[in-house]
Amino acid sequence: MDNKGSSQKAGSLLLLLLLVSNLLLCKSVASLPICPSGAVNCQVSLRDLFDRAVILSHYIHNLSSEMFNEFDKRYAQGRGFITKAINSCHTSSLSTPEDKEQAQQVHHEVLLSMILGVLRSWNDPLYHLVTEVRGMQEAPESILSRAIEIEEQNKRLLEGMEKIVGQVHPGVKENEVYSVWSGLPSLQMADEDTRLFAFYNLLHCLRRDSHKIDSYLKLLKCRIIYDSNC
Amino acid sequence: MGLNVTSRGVKTENEDNPLEAATLGSLIPHSVSIEPLIHFLWKEKGANMKENVASTVVFILLLFLNTNLLNGQSPPGKPEIFKCRSPEKETFTCWWKPGADGGLPTNYTLTYHKEGETFTHECPDYKTGGPNSCYFNKKHTSIWTIYIITVNATNQMGSSSSDPRYVDVTYIVEPDPPVNLTLELKQPEDRKPYLWIKWFPPTLVDVRSGWLTLQYEIRLKPEKAAEWETHFAGQQTQFKILSLYPGQKYLVQVHCKPDHGFWSEWSPESSIPIPNDFSMTDATVWIFVAVLSAVICLIMVWVVALKGYSMVTCILPPVPGPKIKGFDTHLLEKGKSEELLSALGCQDFPPTSDCEDLLVEFLEVDDSGDQQLLAAHSKEHPGQGVKPMHSDPDSDSGRGSCDSPSLLSEKCDEPRANPSKFHTPEGLEKAEKPETNVTQPQGPQSTSVEGKIPSLHASGSQSSTWPLLQPPGLHYSRSSYHSVADVCKLGLGTAGAASTLLDKTDTCALKPSQTIETGGEGKAAERGESESFRFKTDQDAARLLPQDKTPLTSAKPLEYVEIHKVSKDGALALLPKQNEHSGRAEKTSTPETSKEYSKVSRVMESNILVLVQNRRAQNLAPFEEPAKEAPPSLPQNPAAVDLASFPAAPSSCRLQLGGLDYLHPTGFMHPFQ
Repeated sequence: MDNKGSSQKAGSLLLLLLLVSNLLLCKSVASLPICPSGAVNCQVSLRDLFDRAVILSHYIHNLSSEMFNEFDKRYAQGRGFITKAINSCHTSSLSTPEDKEQAQQVHHEVLLSMILGVLRSWNDPLYHLVTEVRGMQEAPESILSRAIEIEEQNKRLLEGMEKIVGQVHPGVKENEVYSVWSGLPSLQMADEDTRLFAFYNLLHCLRRDSHKIDSYLKLLKCRIIYDSNC
Repeated sequence: MGLNVTSRGVKTENEDNPLEAATLGSLIPHSVSIEPLIHFLWKEKGANMKENVASTVVFILLLFLNTNLLNGQSPPGKPEIFKCRSPEKETFTCWWKPGADGGLPTNYTLTYHKEGETFTHECPDYKTGGPNSCYFNKKHTSIWTIYIITVNATNQMGSSSSDPRYVDVTYIVEPDPPVNLTLELKQPEDRKPYLWIKWFPPTLVDVRSGWLTLQYEIRLKPEKAAEWETHFAGQQTQFKILSLYPGQKYLVQVHCKPDHGFWSEWSPESSIPIPNDFSMTDATVWIFVAVLSAVICLIMVWVVALKGYSMVTCILPPVPGPKIKGFDTHLLEKGKSEELLSALGCQDFPPTSDCEDLLVEFLEVDDSGDQQLLAAHSKEHPGQGVKPMHSDPDSDSGRGSCDSPSLLSEKCDEPRANPSKFHTPEGLEKAEKPETNVTQPQGPQSTSVEGKIPSLHASGSQSSTWPLLQPPGLHYSRSSYHSVADVCKLGLGTAGAASTLLDKTDTCALKPSQTIETGGEGKAAERGESESFRFKTDQDAARLLPQDKTPLTSAKPLEYVEIHKVSKDGALALLPKQNEHSGRAEKTSTPETSKEYSKVSRVMESNILVLVQNRRAQNLAPFEEPAKEAPPSLPQNPAAVDLASFPAAPSSCRLQLGGLDYLHPTGFMHPFQ
């Protein structure tokens, strides 16, 4: 009995010791380690995945920016749409960091899931954007082609991000959180002013969200791959 | 009395109005002399004392106001925010331009509210950005948020506000220029010297965490030059310049751009002098090149010197003088024409009938003045098969390749060599058919020959029609005639199905050459069809002669078969052609010295002679124009002529029999038009 008790004690002590040492060894940012399997391939391919994801996100933001500027120049001059496009993005419900400090304090798995959430929230609007731009009177080719390209690249980026998540945190179950977009009726309004404003708003939000994703990804890349030493 | 107007009052003699005086004094702070006015007023004093006071007061008040207005004081004009910038996407500054200040000290305040918030803030820092600026530090800066910023100008007289400006820090990033631009000349031993340019990103920008990604661009120029030479450096912070002019001083600048933002200003210039000996080590290369070219020049000169003459003759061949072989100018001078001419190899002049070999004999059968039968000259080039109709004024055209004896003769050879080529057996057969109606046992007869295609079809198994056999009624007004193919086509067209022929090709197989192609049956027909009635040049004929590679020359010398003799019963004995294509009436395989044409079986339509060959029961194609007939190899084997039978190639040869035939297109055209 004594032996048993003492062995039990020893066991629990040992466990405690292990736990403490683990905690001590843990980094200050208590995030899950990447590439838990530790394979070299994982590290290398993760770099490629991130490089590719950053290229895609950069490209998507460039396209969104050009598309917005083109639309603004062509349809929105003098209509004062900016005054109305305040607080009107459907992704504002997803709480995302608003500056560098906040973003750096978020753990990378959380940041990754935020990125995924924003990307998923845009699947539906992008699809409808393409459809509706096509139906616009004298649908401008420059805007339409960019919209189609963005929709395509967004899908690719989503796939890439899912791969990254699968490699960085394999087996972690993820809640697929994203915001639902309900702006389709506005895009189809008969009143031209309302409809144009709906487009303006959508493009404005797209430009912003694509920039957000680009910034987060670049932060993550430097943090994970280059150890904050880009 | 002078009035001394002081603030204390006006000393007046009259002490009835001390108050008035004091009021006056206080109201008029200026040392403006209003003596005359007061003088006047005092003058009136006696009369309207009270009214005077009131009007004076009013008057002075007005004066006061006037002076104020003359100074330009007014509420401030509307300020305008003209620029907002963030150097690192973490803070930002806005600058405004004040409006007119109204002559009074104006106070500016900046107020803003953020997207999603309701309350208004005031600018946290007016100083850091300089005058008329507002600096938002990190705490007050949110990215991906719209700020609605307004500037208010206030002064004593009033205030005014600027238009609100909507600012999102995301899109106003413009960094500072890069810092620590260093230039260094490097001259490594075994490589070219270069200028090494290095710099650092601006201090405020956080590149290490990846918050901003910068791209750089450098530019440089020699000091005196007018234009800058710009180079894009990507994300690297160094650059090497290889091509520099020695002995000059270079100026270098660098600037940067964030991934989604504006280019910064150019950094301050850095300069570096390039020493004079900063030369490429390409001298050795140049020396080598120079020596090599000198050597090559020497070699060229030497070669030219040695072989100059032959080279010149090669390049500029001497123009040959006129020379006739065997012609001895001396003889000419002597005037002995006979010797001269004999030297030339000419026999009697004028030529006698002994020169059979050299002379062409024409057998002319002129019906309505147009037709001619031409005897082939054995010497004719086989490839020519085109015989112009002499009678035709427009002698051109369509020398039927079919007709060309050369063709036929060629064909004769072919079968031996290439039995497979003779797909034309049927055609040959048929071609002959009409002509040889008489001779054939089946007797396609002249009726068929008459050229009713249907009748031709009817004639036995042979392929139907040899349209060529159209009756001689054709006028020969036109010399041009179509190739056999064309005629075939015609025939086919009208005949409808002419299909007993191994399809059309068979009918057109009359053109032996055409059908030569392997599997050429169809082709021949097609060919013919494609060329419908257009025999432009001999080339066409050449085309129709597939195996005859030699293009038919347009100036078709006529092919002649020498008539050896005419036998008593009217048979024309023809000499075969001497070359391989000879044996027009026979298979070339067995060249004979002469082919006996026993008789003329009949004359068709006065322009076709149907000759019967002695040797076989073949009919020679009548020597009429377009008639080109393939001598039936065996009358018994009409349509079925198969290639196998051709090795003997009699039929081809037989074709040659008809080599002299011409198919007159016009005649054939008629029925079909």
